[in-house]
Amino acid sequence: MRKASYSVNSLQKTGYVFILPTIIIFSIFLIYPMISAFCLSFFDWNLLNPMKFVGFKNFVSMAGDGRVINSYVGTLHFSLISVMAINVLAFLFAMMLSSRLIQYKNFLQSLIFLPVILSIVAVGVVWEFMFQSTGLIPIILRKLIGISPAWLTKSSAAPYAIIIVYVWKSVGYYMVIYIAGLMDIPVTYYEAARIDGAGFWSQLFYITIPNLRNTIALGVISCIIFTFGQFSLQYVITKGGPARSTEVLSLLIFKEAFEFSKFGYSAAISVLFFLTLLVFSVFQLRLFKSGAVGE
Amino acid sequence: MTSYRFRERVLRAILYVLIAALGAVFVFPFLWMIISSFKLNRDVLAIPIRFFPPEWNWMSYVNVFTKFPDFNFPRLILNSLVVTTIAVLFCLFLAATAGYGFAKYRFKGNNVLFTIVLATMMISFEAIVVPLFILVRQLGMQNNYWGLIIPESLTAFGVFMMRQFFYALPNDYIESARIDGANEYTIFVKLGLPMAKTALLALVIFHAQWVWNLLLWPMIVMSNPDMRVLPQGIALFKGGYNTPYPEQLAVSVIACLPILLLYIFLSKYFVKGIAMTGLKG
Repeated sequence: MRKASYSVNSLQKTGYVFILPTIIIFSIFLIYPMISAFCLSFFDWNLLNPMKFVGFKNFVSMAGDGRVINSYVGTLHFSLISVMAINVLAFLFAMMLSSRLIQYKNFLQSLIFLPVILSIVAVGVVWEFMFQSTGLIPIILRKLIGISPAWLTKSSAAPYAIIIVYVWKSVGYYMVIYIAGLMDIPVTYYEAARIDGAGFWSQLFYITIPNLRNTIALGVISCIIFTFGQFSLQYVITKGGPARSTEVLSLLIFKEAFEFSKFGYSAAISVLFFLTLLVFSVFQLRLFKSGAVGE
Repeated sequence: MTSYRFRERVLRAILYVLIAALGAVFVFPFLWMIISSFKLNRDVLAIPIRFFPPEWNWMSYVNVFTKFPDFNFPRLILNSLVVTTIAVLFCLFLAATAGYGFAKYRFKGNNVLFTIVLATMMISFEAIVVPLFILVRQLGMQNNYWGLIIPESLTAFGVFMMRQFFYALPNDYIESARIDGANEYTIFVKLGLPMAKTALLALVIFHAQWVWNLLLWPMIVMSNPDMRVLPQGIALFKGGYNTPYPEQLAVSVIACLPILLLYIFLSKYFVKGIAMTGLKG
């Protein structure tokens, strides 16, 4: 391929035809809106009146807007705990399911994977029932440990209710990523280590984790990016309440624009959202580029 | 030696018990959703809790379709099916053509353009949702299938995956087809696509479950009650005044079925697709 054994240039140009649809659609529906989000963030606009340029006003008001700050901190809190829980559990489950002692792996794996393919709105409906005061979870908790928080009506508990549902829903996906990574590590590494007398922990820290470096990096980073934009569960289960304790950024972006008609302000929050994730997305891009063949 | 084998057996037993318990925890809410959809309204949240319905109620599945004219569920299901099908096909078309173009042709700017497409992975949907709505409105695609479909058919990851896949295919077949005088598009359709079946099917299930579950974008772009999709309908139905519980659960079960079915048939490809996102260390 690289040797260009067939140097018919016009033939190679057919490639443009193949990529053309993607380039056009991506430009119109992804790249243009991104640029226009930046522009819009410097305006006041309610869709009806003419747009009014306001400079950095939106960003300045954002810095003093308790609702935005609350939402930003809430999103960080939700993402941090979810991402840690999801990846640690996914790794643990993957280790357990990859054990050579276990059979029926596919069946057991698909049990943990099931929530991944369920409709997220449906999942929200069911868990809301289970979290209600006469629902399953409070009743079981009261039986087991004597108390149960008011999951959906106390602002200190509601974020954790959402986190539990989200972790339950997502962990199977990352588990499959880790299982695939584990299967790629040559068995001979472990055999050699066992002959040298290495126990479970040294195998874990000297073989498994170093060999899974890229898989773990990609798992964690894509999880951060996905989680930061989570919207459905908060919308279905708590609508951002109680007392805005689950009003994550994407929910606020939605409300500012489509409930309060503050499109410029909403775009400014989008820019904040984008910039927060930029570090992670650049890193993700580099991982993909390094994994791309033929570069 | 016996102590070693004994330890192994104990360990195995512990692992099985742990995994079985986990499996139960992960499956239970779905079972509970199904079982409770057959309960009577008063039994769903009744104390003491009973797993099986004291009295079976089959009507919730009928009522969902007949008793709630504000939520035209048959129509919403149809909308969801149409949108998902077209978005998946469109996504396949874009990803396959671009992936093939980037992998199999060496034109000027190949690398730069591919990097730009990859870089769009950095744009999260939430960050562009407002300008995208303005754009779609200007294009007159509000309350229109296409307004929902097109922005949700773009996946840089799909392009990446297809490019990886086509790149790994040997060029010999393509060369010999060229010598036989086949044109480039015929080669793509008759040779390239069939060979990429695994990757394409992985993309089908991936994207189908993505589009089927969308909530944020439909809420923004579909304001007309007849153009809503199913998740949107369920969210509104649940938030509605005095909506009976079994009906909420019944329609939730219905919303889970299509992807569950697709998964049963394509699970092999789904797992492969996810594994491909893991990239080799």
